[in-house]
Amino acid sequence: MSGTAPGDFASPHGPAPGADAPVTLAERVLLAPFTPRARREGLYCLVSVPLGIAGCWAVAWVLGPSLLVSASVLGTVVGLLGVVVALRLARRLGALYRWVAARMLGEQITAPPPFRRAAGSIIVRLDARLRDGAGWRAIGYTLLKLPLAVGQYLALAFWACGLADMSYPVWWPLFRSPSPGATLSAVSAATPPPFGSFVHATSWAGSLLVAIFGAALLLIAPWLTRGVVTADRWLARSLLSAGTLTQRVRDLEQARARVVDDSVALLRQVERDLHDGAQVRLAAMAMNLGMAKEKLGADGQPPDVRRARELVDAAHLGAKEALVELRELVRGIHPPVLEVGLAEALATLAAGSAIPVQVRAELPVRPTPAIETIAYFCAAELLANATKHSGANKVDISAEIIDCERTSLLRLLVCDDGTGGADPAGGSGLAGLERRVGTVDGRLSVSSPAGGPTQITIELPMKA
Amino acid sequence: MDTMRVVIAEDAALLREGLTRLLEERGHEVCAAVSDAGALLAAVAEHKPDVAVVDIRMPPTHTDEGLRAALRLRQDHSGTGVLVFSQYIETRYAARLLAGNAAGVGYLLKERVADVADFVAALTRVADGGTALDPEVVSQLFRASRHADGLATLTRRERDVLGLMAEGRSNAGISAALVISGGAVEKHVASIFGKLGLPPSEGDNRRVLAVLRYLGG
Repeated sequence: MSGTAPGDFASPHGPAPGADAPVTLAERVLLAPFTPRARREGLYCLVSVPLGIAGCWAVAWVLGPSLLVSASVLGTVVGLLGVVVALRLARRLGALYRWVAARMLGEQITAPPPFRRAAGSIIVRLDARLRDGAGWRAIGYTLLKLPLAVGQYLALAFWACGLADMSYPVWWPLFRSPSPGATLSAVSAATPPPFGSFVHATSWAGSLLVAIFGAALLLIAPWLTRGVVTADRWLARSLLSAGTLTQRVRDLEQARARVVDDSVALLRQVERDLHDGAQVRLAAMAMNLGMAKEKLGADGQPPDVRRARELVDAAHLGAKEALVELRELVRGIHPPVLEVGLAEALATLAAGSAIPVQVRAELPVRPTPAIETIAYFCAAELLANATKHSGANKVDISAEIIDCERTSLLRLLVCDDGTGGADPAGGSGLAGLERRVGTVDGRLSVSSPAGGPTQITIELPMKA
Repeated sequence: MDTMRVVIAEDAALLREGLTRLLEERGHEVCAAVSDAGALLAAVAEHKPDVAVVDIRMPPTHTDEGLRAALRLRQDHSGTGVLVFSQYIETRYAARLLAGNAAGVGYLLKERVADVADFVAALTRVADGGTALDPEVVSQLFRASRHADGLATLTRRERDVLGLMAEGRSNAGISAALVISGGAVEKHVASIFGKLGLPPSEGDNRRVLAVLRYLGG
């Protein structure tokens, strides 16, 4: 979690590698403005100030009026919907802030799990949205970002004023060469807020004094920057991360319950399929063979050869059908081709499809079997959906490994050119897929405007 | 019984039609072949058949509606034998079906239909007011019985005879199944009753009940 890169003079772990002697306090103070850390934190402030102010402004503008409206009797629903918008906005901003902190400060903050839509009535869904703890914490951060931005702005002012003041002796002789006998008005040194200017120069010698003042500002600036950035890091870690342990435990408990439910449901389905399918066929087959045996008699000339043949034919057909059913059932439990790899399995899936499917799979690293299995069944289900419901003429499936915030993800994209209108809330198989994907902290997003095309993105961690 | 009048309740069309054909080819009359419990009750009320073949798992819930319908039939239509027909055996289901009266009741695995003659014989026995328990039920009862000590005193042949008695077979049926004389069967039965301390009972049904009570107790 530490944002301190090796080589920083201010490293809490001691002197910089390669330094022969311990760095003295004087050296630390004097060299502070020139460390990579000071540069990184200064640049971070430069980005953070406008982002922070804009984000706070946006969230406050959505949240404030929404809360006001929701307090009224008639506006409750509208107001609460506004609050939901603010929550979603804050989550997005939180992701942006995390990204900036990771890129500029090296601060890795684990993203909270994506919001899981609750199934049920609009009230239930709204309620779940309003209980989105990660969203509320993100709102907290975006609002607190305003005082942080002010602090960061001050730190930037120290840097800017310090640099400006240091330049006084350089340009003084160029622009302020005194003509004989003239009296020059005093020039104030650039002074960071909230201080008023209190250092003035009337001569080149005076400008040297301003430069010394500027140097002092530059010596203070890195420490001030470090202070506000540290506060920012701390807030971001507490408010933008995956959240408290309790929250995580609750999420995992829910996920575990879903996994257990799903596996029980799966076993029941397998039992049902066997009971109603292969078992019936085999029983009927045994019956036909039993009857055929009787028609053939114990020995000698069979009493009823024609009927016996008919029964053996029926049994033979039944055996073949039972084999087909068993094969499909076995493949439904775990397709053997998955052992070879997800790319092969997807290609096999595409080959068996009723509509043309183009598969593009670039998987230099194999995810764990559990992840491959989930990805495969998602692809199979989505392909079945596209075939059955969308009226698509072709489907594109792509699977690739992407890098996201220093971890790798398996991203599965299934696109069709059908009529669109797929909705996870519509009680379709999509909700089931979302549940399944959610059990391993993956996420599923759907873009399916009416009229098409439909694009479904599934992101899964490389291991469960 | 020469010609049975049968009602079949089985939701798998393949088996329903197969059974119908099997019974009709042997000259029995299938009054109705239905696919759910409600239709079964209606068909039995209408046709008053000798025997009903009832699948346990049927629509709408696919759990035990067949069993519940069978219990209704036992209560409301004592003249109709009930053969419960299932792909798995639950000893508790057997206990509920028998519940103090083994007359005209059967519980067989569906796969027994492979031995057509045995199956039809069992169905005939149930239609005639006898009992037909699947060997699997009986072997489960043997395994779970708390009278392992008593059972251990039996010879191997006596255990075979006890099992066939529990299935509901008559002495004639036992002698045919084991290929021994009727006198030998009677001797084994008397020996078994003596060793297990069972009261001698008249009639096959009471004998089945006594044996099952002993095994289940």
